Amino acid sequence: MRTLATLAHWEGIVLLAGLFGVVLWKLLTGRISLDQLLEGDVPDPNCPNGFSTYVSGGRTQLLGATLFVAGYYLLQVVHNPKQFPTMPIPLVGALAGSQALYLGGKARALLLGRLQQFFHRRMQ
Amino acid sequence: MKNPEFVLSTILAIIITGGIAYAPGEGTTKVKLAICYAGLVLLFLFGFLILAGIASGKIDISTLLAESGGGASMSRFQLLIFTFVIGLSFFLIVVSTGKFPDPIPAGVMTLLGISATTYGVSKGIQATGMPGKIPPPAGNGGAGGQRQ
Repeated sequence: MRTLATLAHWEGIVLLAGLFGVVLWKLLTGRISLDQLLEGDVPDPNCPNGFSTYVSGGRTQLLGATLFVAGYYLLQVVHNPKQFPTMPIPLVGALAGSQALYLGGKARALLLGRLQQFFHRRMQ
Repeated sequence: MKNPEFVLSTILAIIITGGIAYAPGEGTTKVKLAICYAGLVLLFLFGFLILAGIASGKIDISTLLAESGGGASMSRFQLLIFTFVIGLSFFLIVVSTGKFPDPIPAGVMTLLGISATTYGVSKGIQATGMPGKIPPPAGNGGAGGQRQ
């Protein structure tokens, strides 16, 4: 049974590390594209496809919050790998707020932009 | 036969099961061991084949974070990060304690829930806000889904 547990242990390490490694390698080599990660869409009648891009503050702060919370969580687990760490309520609140801000910005840019265009066309 | 490697893996697992079943020892223990070893071998071979497929490009994951307008999706990216972090944490805890955490803490569910909800809502906003965005010409970083 000890051999079985050791085998399962190493199998988990190889498969998980392999998956992380492959995805990370593809991210680093650009085979999974991260272009325009921080750019949002906004309706633009002057563009051929109807939308133009802008550097989105919502996306930028979400990236920061995500990396911070993920790093914090991972560090806690590495320091005490006996149990899942307890997340401080303010940190969870900050993450939720950050995500809400991103979604709000996206909704404003896309949905409000369409509404503005609609009224603009009606006024002309 | 489209995927002979999967069939070969299954046959190998069956052979291992048979080998353990014919080894000397007590019956019930042998059956348990045979099933466990076969499961492990099968899981490893299937996992390895999928990893090899991804690494060689046979299984294409270039649009994992992509959107139709070119570029990457922030909501997909943060969901990927949180999935990896929780997965790695879970694995570390199971390896350290030798057992599954029971119950799964609410904090983990909250973290993944927030992340996945954002992805879902973002997808909804995208579908409503830009239903007819024309994709750019091919060759734009392999991007091809809807911006989320």
